Parts: sequence; C-alpha cells; structure tokens
Amino acid sequence: MKQLVSAPMLFVGAGIFLIVGLLLAFLYAPIDASTMGYSQKIFFYHAPIAETALVAFGVAFVAAILYLRSQDPKWDRLGVVCVRLGLLFSALVMATGMIWGKAAWGTWWDWEPRLTTFLLVCFLYVAYFVLRSVVEEEERRATFAAVFAIIAFIDVPITFFATRFLPAGMHPTVITTSGTGMPGSMFVSFFISMIGMTLLLVALIRRDLGVEELKDRVADLKNSIGG
Amino acid sequence: MTIEEGAKFVAAAYAIILAVLVLYYFLSARRVNALTRDVTLLEQEVRRRRGEAGGE
Amino acid sequence: MNGRRQFMAILRKDLIRELRTREMIISMILFVLLAMVIFHYAFSVKEDADLTYFTGGMLWVTFIFAMLLGLNRSFAQEKDERCLDGLLLCPVDRVTIFLAKTAGNLIFLLIIQVVAVPVFTLFFVSRSYVGDLPQFLVVLLLADLGICALGTLLATISMSTRSRDLLLPIIFLPLIVPVLIAATGATTLIFAEGAGFGDLLARVLFLLGFDAIFMVAAYGTYDFAIGE
Repeated sequence: MKQLVSAPMLFVGAGIFLIVGLLLAFLYAPIDASTMGYSQKIFFYHAPIAETALVAFGVAFVAAILYLRSQDPKWDRLGVVCVRLGLLFSALVMATGMIWGKAAWGTWWDWEPRLTTFLLVCFLYVAYFVLRSVVEEEERRATFAAVFAIIAFIDVPITFFATRFLPAGMHPTVITTSGTGMPGSMFVSFFISMIGMTLLLVALIRRDLGVEELKDRVADLKNSIGG
Repeated sequence: MTIEEGAKFVAAAYAIILAVLVLYYFLSARRVNALTRDVTLLEQEVRRRRGEAGGE
Repeated sequence: MNGRRQFMAILRKDLIRELRTREMIISMILFVLLAMVIFHYAFSVKEDADLTYFTGGMLWVTFIFAMLLGLNRSFAQEKDERCLDGLLLCPVDRVTIFLAKTAGNLIFLLIIQVVAVPVFTLFFVSRSYVGDLPQFLVVLLLADLGICALGTLLATISMSTRSRDLLLPIIFLPLIVPVLIAATGATTLIFAEGAGFGDLLARVLFLLGFDAIFMVAAYGTYDFAIGE
C-alpha cells in the first residue's frame, strides 16, 4: 500500500527541476528589458503553473471520456483528482497574475483575456464540485461529472477566443513572453521550471489517487465490519 | 520600476506559490499516513473478528 | 416512426402543454417587461443618459435569465409528472429527445424576444437600426441556438440532481459567457453604430462555431446526461 501512494522519486525530481529553474531564473536569465522589468521574474513560475493547470484539466477531460466509455470508477477518481489539482494551480495563477498586474499596470485586476479566462475556468471547475456534491448516487454522479468535465474543457479555449472580442482595456498591448522574442537563457529557465511543475503535477496526481483509493478501502473495511 | 520595487512583488508571488504547494504537499502526506493507519487498524480488526468466529 | 416524426411529436406535445396552461409564456412576458423597468431604474443615473450602448447587454442578460427560468420549468414538469420516464420507455433515440427539447426551448426564447426586442428598442435605443435588421436577426438566431442547445443539455443534468434550480445557473452561466460576449458585442455595434455583415463577420463565425461545437458535444454526451 505504501509503495502505491508515495512517489518519492517523482517529488524529488520535481523539486530538483523547480529549484534549478528558480536559480536560473534569478541568476542566469537577464532582467527583462521591456517595460516589465524586474517583475517579469514572476513569470518563471507563473507561466509553468498556468500550463500545468491546463494540463490537469486536459487529463480530466480525457479521463471523463474514458469514464463514459468504460464506466470504470478509476477514471472518475482520476477526474476528481485532476480537477482539484487544476483548481489549486489555477488559484495560484490568479494570485500571481494579480500580483504581477499590480507591479506592471498598477492595478490588482484588469479584464485582460488570459486573466479573465482563468477567472471563468475557476468558476467552471468550482461548479464541477458543486455538481458532484448534489448527486448522491455514485454512478450517476460520476457520469454527470464526466459530461460536465467534457463540456467545460471544450469551453475553455472558446472563452479565451471570446474575450478577444471585448474592447481593449487600459492595457491593449499585453507583452507576450512566448515565441521567438525570448532570449535563450530565459527560455532555458522557463523550460526547466515547466518540466518541474509538470513532474510535480504527476506526483501529486499519483499521491491523490492513492488517497482516493485508500478512502475507498477504508469505507469498504468499515462496511465489512459493520455488516 | 526599479529592481527594489519589483523585488517586493516578485518575493510575494514566489512566497505564495511555495507556501501553497508545500502546504498541499504536507497536508496530503498527512492524509496518506492517517488513511494508511486506518486501513491497518481496520484490517487487524477484521482478522481478529474472523479469528474469534473461527474459534467458536 | 422515423426520427423526424418523433421529433415533431415531442415538440408538439411540449407546445400543446404550454398552450393549454399559458402560465409559462404569460409569466415570461411579464418577466421581460419587468426586467426592462428594472434596468431603466438601475441605469438612469443621469437625467439625459443615453442607454443605447447598454441595450445590447440588457437584452442578452434578460434573455439568459429568462432562459434559465424557462429551462427549469420545462424540465420540472417532465420530472414531477414523471413524463420523462414515459418518454424514455418509448423506443426514441435520445438525440431526438434532445433536438425536440432544444427546438421547444428555442421557440420559447423566440417568443420572449418578439416581445422584448421591440419594447427595449422603443424605450432605450435612440437611433433606428431598421437597415441592419437582417444582420441582427442572424446574430439573434445563432446566439439563441447556442443558448438553447447548451441550456437543454445542462438542464437535463441539473433536473436529476438534488438541488435542480439552484444548480442550473451555476453550471450554465460560466459556460454561456462566450455567447454573451459575442452576441452583446454584435448587438451593441448594430444598435449604437450600425454595422454590416463585414463588421460582424468574426462574431457571426464565432457564434456559428460555438453552435456547431456544442451541438456535436451534446450529441455525444446526451445519452449519459439523460440517464437510463
């Protein structure tokens, strides 16, 4: 049982990548030359976390499809775990995004496409848990949650497109750090942090899955004693 | 924005990230330990009862 | 019976039930008129405030909230009188049920709009947009279709849960935001500045894509949403 739930190597690996990425970000990568200046350092974790959150929701989407095809409860467990971790990471994205907004634009909140999309993503996946909480029957709860996870994940990129229709706010040109404009040293730091975050996600998914399985096992054992 | 001004925000952002991730890590680790203990205890109990039933 | 006849039968049943009691349509029309009055008082912050720029937003907010009430009601009856169980016992394709329900909700929304659009225009819009009416109708129909398809799918889920009418807005509103953004933007352009198909092309295509994607998604998932 212990081997099943603890994934120490994954956590250690994630930790090493994250620490190296962080060191590189502060010691190796240059200070951003554009208007962002030093506050751009926030991005070295902010962007990987955002990517990881979307990966988590993507895995939940795949798990939902697999659940609907097989009705196997293990996919439902994977879905719950991924959505929960995705929400955790999304909350971090919002928090750090707002801090960066305060540093770069002087306001805590701006209706900027990416920030707005993440806000809606948070609402969507909180609704996922509200939906789960109001269905008692296990199979039905898993089915409804899977349908909703599929619809929600499809809606994320659509929302992102739609926010482009909004009239440009006070900051029409949001500086993008992606693409070719990024110096190589910055890219390396980013990339290493991204690997670290993704490993961390995998490690957390494995551990949380173990927690869910243990919970089921405890419930089974309690039933067998009571009965 | 000077480096000193920016550093405050950067420090705040990383503090939040690390605090949340480390907290989540330890909470889930505690969860695993508590549940593993429950499982062991419950399994013992099941075995004990089975033994009693067999002895009678 | 083939699919088309089954579709018509379910749709006709819903419409006849509505026409017999009339309670839903009458309360919805009242709701729309009251919403207009409420919006008027909520937004008249200045003596000569021109609300033309806000009318598009007011309209779509009204439509979406009216739709929420309508969706809850249409499925509450199905559930309370156990009509749906009977329907599910019939050898009908689940997708046919979805399409018929969506069409029924679309008709319901269109009736609301026939009342709401002229009234809101009369009271709030300061310039005439008669020339842009075709564009407006296209935007209206495309957005309606998206709202009804997604709304019907989600209402089917929410009605089988413990807290039906409380759950629906929570799962429906965040998902419908893209439609709201595109439809409100297009409507505001038409009302306030006058816009041809060229100006609206991106939004119209977006709405079209939204409808197509969620029709397909609903087609794939409705079997599971409606349960056995």
